[in-house]
Amino acid sequence: MTDELAQRLVSSLKAAGIDFVTYLPETRLSQILPLIRDDPGMQLIAAASEQEAVTIAAGATLGGKQAAVYMENTGIYVSSYSLLTVGKQLGVPLLLVIGFLGGVPDQRNSFLYATIGSHTIPVLQSLGIEHMVLEDGGKLETNVVDAVRAANAQRAPFALLFAGEFSA
Amino acid sequence: MIRHECLELLAGKITDQLVVTSQSGQRIEWAHLSKHEGNLLVGMMGCAIGVATGLALALPHRKIIALDSDGSVLLSLFNLATLGNLRPKNLVIYVFDNGVYSGSRISYPTATSGHTDLAAMARGAGIANAHMVRDLEDFREKGIDALTRDELAFFVCKVEESLMHREIPRPNTDLAENKYTFVRYLERTEGKAIPFLGRG
Repeated sequence: MTDELAQRLVSSLKAAGIDFVTYLPETRLSQILPLIRDDPGMQLIAAASEQEAVTIAAGATLGGKQAAVYMENTGIYVSSYSLLTVGKQLGVPLLLVIGFLGGVPDQRNSFLYATIGSHTIPVLQSLGIEHMVLEDGGKLETNVVDAVRAANAQRAPFALLFAGEFSA
Repeated sequence: MIRHECLELLAGKITDQLVVTSQSGQRIEWAHLSKHEGNLLVGMMGCAIGVATGLALALPHRKIIALDSDGSVLLSLFNLATLGNLRPKNLVIYVFDNGVYSGSRISYPTATSGHTDLAAMARGAGIANAHMVRDLEDFREKGIDALTRDELAFFVCKVEESLMHREIPRPNTDLAENKYTFVRYLERTEGKAIPFLGRG
């Protein structure tokens, strides 16, 4: 991902109201982390597990933050329990910002990632979590605002899967 | 010492703190003892400390209390390392450790019945103020006193298994109703809107 795209992604998150981000770093989108860390209007919290990242973000949402969770798509598998129980059952909106490793549009796809990628969307669907796949930054700002609005309206997590030029 | 005795003491100290419970008998006992609108009765194991941590970070001026169990903490040990580094000063965690999976109705032992010491693990993870509490007086002196201090605290309360929660009425407030009561209470007491509620 280019630095310009990383900057636009963070600006889009901020414009959509995101002010609290929990994360486990990964390879595709990691340039966003120093930008979020250095933004005084955003709180960045490192978690030890994606399951934990989801629960901390959920608590922050209930406490008045507009929270996002940044993770690799492997984190969907790790956090499916808390996504289902805290996210869906309790009904807490969260924006999931996900590096879509191994998805068809992942430009660094390989035998290491393909299995992980091929199960990501079916698992999200089975959890009842809606998603969008973003392959370029053409409508990035609109896509992020739409995703946060959808999460809030549904009282549920909403996933943005980043691949294509975001994974270059 | 049984869990209900500790919760009774704690319930008498609740004013405007926010209380997050895990799923276990303490959720039922706490809901019976406290009708506080700032109770969030999270209905699943392994999630309460994370949710409480998020609340503590979002509302650093507000005291947050997490009520959890040994089985639940064993499901989410990663919380210890995260808390050991974040150290939110407004969070007090009580882990009621009866050493068994009591909810399973066969009460098979958890790891804390063996060699595992959750308080020692918490200290090793960086939570300096982590203690084992073995009797009610100790709970009163250390555990209740922590509510007045500005420091992350983690108490492993060694309790005898008690089945009192099976004899008292279970809360019939569903998760959504509880959530909305909780966030409306927060809106009132914080004097601000909770963004996700939005408009109809």
